[in-house]
Amino acid sequence: MTSATAVDDIVGSEYEHGFTTEIASETFPPGLDEGVVRAISARKGEPEFMTEWRLKAYRHWLTMPEPAWAAVHYPKIDFQSISYFSAPKRPEDMPKSLDEIDPVLLDTYNKLGIPLEEQKALAGIAVDAVFDSVSVATTFRKSLAEAGVIFCSISEAVHDYPELIQQHLGSVVPHTDNYYAALNAAVYSDGTFVYVPKGVRCPMELSTYFRINARNTGQFERTLIVAEAGSYVSYLEGCTAPQRDENQLHAAVVELIAMDDAEIKYSTVQNWYPGDAQGKGGIYNFVTKRGDCRGARSKISWTQVETGSAITWKYPSCLLRGDDSIGEFYSVAVTKGRQQADTGTKMIHIGKNTSSTIVSKGISAGEGTQTYRGLVRIGPRAEGARNHTQCDSLLIGDRCSANTFPYIEVKHPSANMEHEATTSKISDDQLFYCRSRGLTEEDAVSMIVNGFCKEVFNELPMEFAVEAQKLLSISLEGAVG
Amino acid sequence: MNGVISNGFESWLAAPPGQLAGAGLDWLDDQRRVARERVREQGVPTSKTEDWRYTSLKGLLEQNFAQVDEAITALQPDDLEDILIPGLDSHRVVLVNGRYAPELSVLGDLPKGVRLGGLRTLLDADPDALRDRLNRIAGDRQPLFLALNTAGLDDGFVALFDRAAILERPIELIHLSVGMDEPRVAQPRHLVVLGDGAQATLIERYVSLGESLYCTNSVLEIALGRDAVLQHDRIQMESANAFHLTGLYLSQDTNSRYRGVNIGLGARWARTELVTRFRGEQAECDLQGLYLAGDRQLMDYHLDVAHSVPRCTSRENFKGILYGKGRAVFDGLVAVARDAQKSDAAMSNRNLMLSESAEVDTKPQLEINADDVKCSHGTTVGRIEPEMLFYLRSRGISAPLARRMLCLGFAGEIIQTLSAEALREHVSERVGQRLESAPLN
Repeated sequence: MTSATAVDDIVGSEYEHGFTTEIASETFPPGLDEGVVRAISARKGEPEFMTEWRLKAYRHWLTMPEPAWAAVHYPKIDFQSISYFSAPKRPEDMPKSLDEIDPVLLDTYNKLGIPLEEQKALAGIAVDAVFDSVSVATTFRKSLAEAGVIFCSISEAVHDYPELIQQHLGSVVPHTDNYYAALNAAVYSDGTFVYVPKGVRCPMELSTYFRINARNTGQFERTLIVAEAGSYVSYLEGCTAPQRDENQLHAAVVELIAMDDAEIKYSTVQNWYPGDAQGKGGIYNFVTKRGDCRGARSKISWTQVETGSAITWKYPSCLLRGDDSIGEFYSVAVTKGRQQADTGTKMIHIGKNTSSTIVSKGISAGEGTQTYRGLVRIGPRAEGARNHTQCDSLLIGDRCSANTFPYIEVKHPSANMEHEATTSKISDDQLFYCRSRGLTEEDAVSMIVNGFCKEVFNELPMEFAVEAQKLLSISLEGAVG
Repeated sequence: MNGVISNGFESWLAAPPGQLAGAGLDWLDDQRRVARERVREQGVPTSKTEDWRYTSLKGLLEQNFAQVDEAITALQPDDLEDILIPGLDSHRVVLVNGRYAPELSVLGDLPKGVRLGGLRTLLDADPDALRDRLNRIAGDRQPLFLALNTAGLDDGFVALFDRAAILERPIELIHLSVGMDEPRVAQPRHLVVLGDGAQATLIERYVSLGESLYCTNSVLEIALGRDAVLQHDRIQMESANAFHLTGLYLSQDTNSRYRGVNIGLGARWARTELVTRFRGEQAECDLQGLYLAGDRQLMDYHLDVAHSVPRCTSRENFKGILYGKGRAVFDGLVAVARDAQKSDAAMSNRNLMLSESAEVDTKPQLEINADDVKCSHGTTVGRIEPEMLFYLRSRGISAPLARRMLCLGFAGEIIQTLSAEALREHVSERVGQRLESAPLN
């Protein structure tokens, strides 16, 4: 087999979305201190409580050590060399409609395949596009408003719905949670706020495209989704980033809150710039994502397809507090070149009759390193808890790694806990079978890998599933087992 | 930090009166000195230490165990009557509180090329036979309890098999603990070396006279030469008040076979570390385990299996039954090195929880750095299926008996891998007794 050269092909394939838009940004000089935190808050015209919250987080962050337990390696980050705020020019002149949007920006979105003009025609998706740090375009706001759904940038929400923000922000991921969550709380630039009122089924799938643009700018997104009793919302998150030389830090926080009978479906396709063949220049993706099934019979479902970033460090989790609540985690992670991913989930069973499902598919190629790290905890009062975990790794090439580190803690006898993990490669038999039926080697590999990931892709909304499959086949072009 | 650390285990390091075995041998004195330094420079593990995440040393540290400083010589062979397993015909080596007791041991006829006996005796008689073997397999890493054991290295059991030596009957190694005036720690050190093509069966038993409080910290190094075969049954039935620590360090050369069966029934706090290193291709290592954790009992297992060369096979199959406030920890790691192609590893940990307040923490880990491998792990935690109970009860079997039958069935898979029928009966019986007294609900 030609695996060595095939793997070289993958490593050598250029990043498809590697371009940089020339827009003058108003960017803070690099560095972080209390003054910068205050300045960010002031620039965004935030109320007093928000400034205080940021400062509290910043002071706590100073006391925390940088975590080193993940199985990833990277040069130490110099937090003083990062600029913590960048906004597209003319912030006082925020666009009110598509016509007012900077044509260069629109062009960028077109390159990314998100033509805003055609959004309305596209399958009912409202896009809150985040270009660097300030939201510059929001569509479908009106029809959402009719349903009573709030879908806006978090800065707007701080102004318009301060009581909701005060009540919920940081209630799932407190500023003390971890190093990067504390940093995010201190300097978060912008993000998305979704509020679905009682009994409302959100009429469309909500979507935000993130894109890192200005050089040397850490991106600190913050997302908060609140689903009141009996409501439903599906949220899509996707990212691409332009090519650059220096590593960029991306430390986002996502908080989900589901009350009684509410359901939140959160899907991610992550395709940040992974770095060049030497592993230089990729994004550091250190993300804290957590959902709180606060109400009885609530459900939170995480689906992620991770193909980008030099380093991915994220564990979308569910706190199953309400009785009969459900947590789900479906993940496909691909690492190639020198990419490293340390990802997984935590399912914390607290309420009675809670259940969780974990399906994690890791694909490692080239010199990629992949780690599944997960925790299933069944608490002493979690009667009737159920968990099923399936972790599969597919290795392509003999220079890659796949680790599985599950932690399972069971404190109730009625628990029903199953964990399975396998590691394999694409077998010669499978390839031979496909090839004997006239498929090219490449198609066969693509078919086998897609089959391997199918359980996860099935969970994605249709538009994302298409994008995910495309991403996967681009990522693994020419790879043979 | 050093001061704090040493305090906890300083009493373990205190040299016993008289000379340690082989004192004056430079290489051995060096090993003990280095180990002593290692103890002092590493901290007492806390819940932040990954290997000790689920296991607290608090109870052990509170005891302030002192080193065993005198040999018990008052025992007569008759005193062993209750301990011996009827029908088990063996070459018997008895250690009392970590010291080799020749008067209780029955070595029997040994074929040419097989040496069995006490470590101290052999160090006096033929130190060169041990020089390049002792403390070689455990390696330089020396975690705390291995370092403590090495620092106080004084006596234990040795089995040396020359090339192609085969012992038909099993070696039975009995660790007998006898209560003393104050709580003591015994730290026996064992070495088993099988030359190329040698074959043996080792039955290792931990037993006590009475239910006294003591601590055992034993270390066993095993080196298997090419094509060597060792069946190793370990049955831990320490006193219900004892603390039990054991480290097994295994090195396997090409095409060697090791099968270890670990039965854990006794002690209130027991930790077992099993470390396997493959040195040659096509070696096989099979680790089976069964543990019962009753009320306030802790059973803690750590497996570290490194596939550092291609084409080796390993199996790790551990099953546990928990009741009362019993706790179990299973932390298994299978690591496949880069280029260790065609490695085949399967790890499984299954737990049966019989009570509300039992707890299981399990962490089966895989670290794979080669692509052409077959590796898997599986874990389950659950209770007895109500349907199974109903089936048996509908046939007129009482609920407690039905539960016991189901538990014994669950345990049977491991028990049947023991080497001798007499041993299987002995273990089944003890497991049955434990389950009978267990407050099932």
